[in-house]
Amino acid sequence: MKRTVPSVAVLALLVVLIAACIPAAPAGETGAAPAAGEQAAPAGEQITLRFANIFDAAAMERWQPIFDEYTAQNPNITIASESTAGSGAAIYPDVLKTSMASGSPPDLFFMWGGEIAGPFIDAGQVLDLTDFYEQYGWKDRFGAWTVDRITRNGKLYGVPFNARGMGFWYQKSMFEQYGLTVPTTFAEQEEMCATLKENDVYCVTIGGKFGWHTMRVLDYFLEYTCGPDGHDRLNRLEERWDAACVVEAYTIFQRWIDNGWVVPDFLTVAPGDARFPWYQGEAALILEGDWYEGVLKNDEQDVNNFDFYLPPTDHEPVRFSTFPEQFMITADSQHPNEAAAFLDWLTNPETQMQYVNTFASSAVKGVNPDCNEWTLTCRMREVILGAASTYPPTDQAFEKELMDGFFEVQDGIVAKQFTPEEGAALMQQRVDEWKAKQ
Amino acid sequence: MSNRTRFRLAPYLFLLPALVWYLVFLVYPMAFSLFISFTDWDGLSPSFNVVGLANYTSILFQDDISRLALRNNILWTLGTLLLPSVMGLLLAVALNRGLPGRTIFRVILYSPGILPLVAVGLIWGWMYNPQFGFINEALKVIGLEHLARGWLSDFDTALPATFVTAIWGGVGFPMVLYLAALQAIPNEQYEAARIDGANGFHLFRFITLPWLREAHVIVFSLAVINSFRTFDLIYTMTYGGPGRSTQVLGTWMYFQAFQYYHAGFGSALAWVIAIITLTVAIPYVRTMSRD
Repeated sequence: MKRTVPSVAVLALLVVLIAACIPAAPAGETGAAPAAGEQAAPAGEQITLRFANIFDAAAMERWQPIFDEYTAQNPNITIASESTAGSGAAIYPDVLKTSMASGSPPDLFFMWGGEIAGPFIDAGQVLDLTDFYEQYGWKDRFGAWTVDRITRNGKLYGVPFNARGMGFWYQKSMFEQYGLTVPTTFAEQEEMCATLKENDVYCVTIGGKFGWHTMRVLDYFLEYTCGPDGHDRLNRLEERWDAACVVEAYTIFQRWIDNGWVVPDFLTVAPGDARFPWYQGEAALILEGDWYEGVLKNDEQDVNNFDFYLPPTDHEPVRFSTFPEQFMITADSQHPNEAAAFLDWLTNPETQMQYVNTFASSAVKGVNPDCNEWTLTCRMREVILGAASTYPPTDQAFEKELMDGFFEVQDGIVAKQFTPEEGAALMQQRVDEWKAKQ
Repeated sequence: MSNRTRFRLAPYLFLLPALVWYLVFLVYPMAFSLFISFTDWDGLSPSFNVVGLANYTSILFQDDISRLALRNNILWTLGTLLLPSVMGLLLAVALNRGLPGRTIFRVILYSPGILPLVAVGLIWGWMYNPQFGFINEALKVIGLEHLARGWLSDFDTALPATFVTAIWGGVGFPMVLYLAALQAIPNEQYEAARIDGANGFHLFRFITLPWLREAHVIVFSLAVINSFRTFDLIYTMTYGGPGRSTQVLGTWMYFQAFQYYHAGFGSALAWVIAIITLTVAIPYVRTMSRD
């Protein structure tokens, strides 16, 4: 008896401790926005809005004054930044997912456009902001395609923050050296590549690790071979990926590699390293975005020697790859109205023009950086926000699992593990497998 | 006089904090992970369905990437058992002699093993860079330019190239273990054998190797366990590519659980890794530990 009682007491204590560690089920709200004005915090209540993002230290130096200014104007609200810096789409969604699954989500969070946010929306973790769009008139504030690109199943789950676009960047000195002009047709593009090859220069440099840098070039070929409508249907999985135009795009990619137009052995080169052959004059083009003037300045390159053009597709209008970045509100946020009000202030053109270096790629119409200092960025922004139609990068059209199937086939095409026909068939198989799991 | 030992509570109270820690941070997560492996939970939604053994049957019989990852892990394990272990033993035998500067050699050879694997992967990724990496440049300098290639971009060489990095970092630990065991062998054994006419091979085969029996147990079992835990080098050097050719169970588990939102499937992969590791390690340790 004496031996039994202490053992039972110890066991009972352990059971209680373990039971206390089992997490409570999350609230599981459906993600519908409260009616505007409902659940407003009592006047004077101190509120902290937790804001998850990927801002690094340099970015936070620009953002903290913005947060402080909002608090100065709204003394009862503090913005608490929770950064997962330097991680990109490989890590940040994992951190976000953990916080949501733990029942302690942030109020606001940064997210890329497209299907990267899909799993969060489908899990009911993201607030539908459609009512807030009406309340604040947000639809008229942003570039039209940015709002379209963050619409999912007819609902608006985010507020565009950045509007990004991509084109072929080149060195003017190289074009002069080899007598090149900006191509206006796909045939001219390939003639340029052939001319460069004759001079022992690669046409394009790619960093294939992670797959998305290679994807940009393949997306361009798909836009050319399938046309805007076909490309969009492929991205919506309304067209089969073993279609003839996909086979043709894969064929073009293999031809570019066989012709020596692409810097070789790039599949596991980091995307950030792809620019080194370009700087050294060993490659003429790199498919990058509106942020690249900043990269050039950081690398102490002479920006005046660089320019960009939209890859010619032989279709009208000439579409190019664009993507928004957005802010979202979690469904379990205790302060959705306050979070929406902050986003309204943050995306107000007057606010952004006060901190224009932070919003150099803003999705808000009329917000531009100092165009004397950021000439190329301003030109590219004009193109991006004025575009009648663009296409998303495939990695924002597909969820990650299907996207990795795309990368698998893409890499196999590059390495000639399969013929274009086999690659297209495998891609359709991956689509079918993914659809069967939904 | 009662023969019952008086029960003392104090030892249990001293054990309690460690036991609680163990139960909460090891046993409970393992049990929860096992439970999740029988569900289709995405790791995010509040609800899920119990799917029984569906995740396990998919891993073993349906998912071709899982089977590819398992194959890569088996190759990695065989390579680890053969190369770092044997090289570690040979280096230990060499450094057990009274060589000048042997301490420095021991430090040099063991140092790679203490570096963080992420840093090792990034450094070797740069060394393998096809345009300006050290390896291709060195091959060109010594007249073997025809061997220069995209080591990590080639479907055929990516996994072996990554394994070379693992060998570089993995030789030091078995070397240290064998070195410690070698120094416990009585010298009289070797003297007596030499008197009986034994040569170097006889000494190694009939004295050194048997005396290292327990070291073998440790080295081989750790080699199996660590090889199935491979993640860092693959993730940093190839990210499972090109294509998915270098996926191993550890990285595939990570992709499934954290990137594809298949927490149930990822947990099942984790338990497959655990079961394989325990299936191999436990019987081997028990067998080799018998006197």
